[in-house]
Amino acid sequence: MTGGGFDRRFAIRLPDGTTESGPIADLRDADASVVPAASQLQRAIRCGGPNPPDGPAVHAPPPGRVHAHVARLASDTTVRTRPALAAVAADRGVETPHDDDLADAIRSFRALSPAPVCDADLRTARRRAAEAGAETERLRERVATVRGRVTALRDGGSADDEALTAAEASLSEATRRLSEVATERVAAAQRLALLEERARSARDRRETRLRLEDRIGNLERAVRAARIDAVADDFRDARHALAALSRDADSDVDFSGIASGLLDALTVVRIAPIRAPVVAAPEVTAAFGGPRPAFEALDSPLVIR
Amino acid sequence: MLLVVTYSRRARETLRNACRAHEETVVRRFGRAALLRETEYGAFLAYRLRERHAADVQVERTEPFNEFADAPDAVREAAAAYEARESPSTPYDRFATGTDHPNSDAMREREL
Repeated sequence: MTGGGFDRRFAIRLPDGTTESGPIADLRDADASVVPAASQLQRAIRCGGPNPPDGPAVHAPPPGRVHAHVARLASDTTVRTRPALAAVAADRGVETPHDDDLADAIRSFRALSPAPVCDADLRTARRRAAEAGAETERLRERVATVRGRVTALRDGGSADDEALTAAEASLSEATRRLSEVATERVAAAQRLALLEERARSARDRRETRLRLEDRIGNLERAVRAARIDAVADDFRDARHALAALSRDADSDVDFSGIASGLLDALTVVRIAPIRAPVVAAPEVTAAFGGPRPAFEALDSPLVIR
Repeated sequence: MLLVVTYSRRARETLRNACRAHEETVVRRFGRAALLRETEYGAFLAYRLRERHAADVQVERTEPFNEFADAPDAVREAAAAYEARESPSTPYDRFATGTDHPNSDAMREREL
């Protein structure tokens, strides 16, 4: 399964300046003091430069989506097959009947900025309306009280003209304040109603956005399912083919020590169009009978570490 | 009751979680909206949602509708008469023609 139309060459520069090049870079015999950890290699492959001075630099094609699922192959590797298969299909450029709809929905969503609802203004308006309402109530009670006193003084035929005059002045003052505050209250209520009306129409747009977001989510799920369907048969066949290699008495392949999760990951690597190197543990290439057969069976550039 | 309506995925998620965690305060749930009991705790939940998601949360206070107090008699009578009509396929405006019942455009114009 070599070839496939990709250039599988890549180069790794180790921190001591030595360079290893692939399609198969074997770091098993490299100087233990400079050889990077598998995780450092993965990071360098995934992220490219700039590289920390004490880390490896990898010159390789950028990793595809499947890389995130099978960047490292070791005896304890497991892979979530459905997401990994969706990534395989995406890297293969599999088209699904939902692609156009999804692209349209995403475009519409981006074009539809959320309508501004001025939340701070609304809050201020709510507070003013509430305060004006409370103040009106307070003054209304005060007017009633003062009016009661005036009436009592008048009805009592009190000789205390001074008290009556003071009470009447106080009543007229309270009435004036009440009328002012009542006007404010009407204005505040109108302002609040206006802002709420505006917020309501802005929410129509938000509602459309929310529907689009839901549509995008549904289409993404449909695309993922269609992608998985598109490569599921290949995955099954390739897994059988790998297992068959191991059963072949004439070959050096021996998967007896390979867990099912790792076999899934190996199969994903085998069916994916992989350009950037995958980091394989020595025990993994040993199961294939060496680096070269592993490279050929997996059809992927390898860093053995 | 307090009607809480959400307008973004995050706000909807928060509302769902709040409803799951505070069933005693939730009267009804409808997808991205919920009716909360009119208690201080209902107000507390509604206010928290508004604090967190600002304009993506709408809070309204609802009241039971009393057709005898909240709408003119003519409207109530028109609705009752229309629902009791003999021919189910008659549109309202044709039904109302030649009667004292208000026409639908006039009702649309008038606020309660």
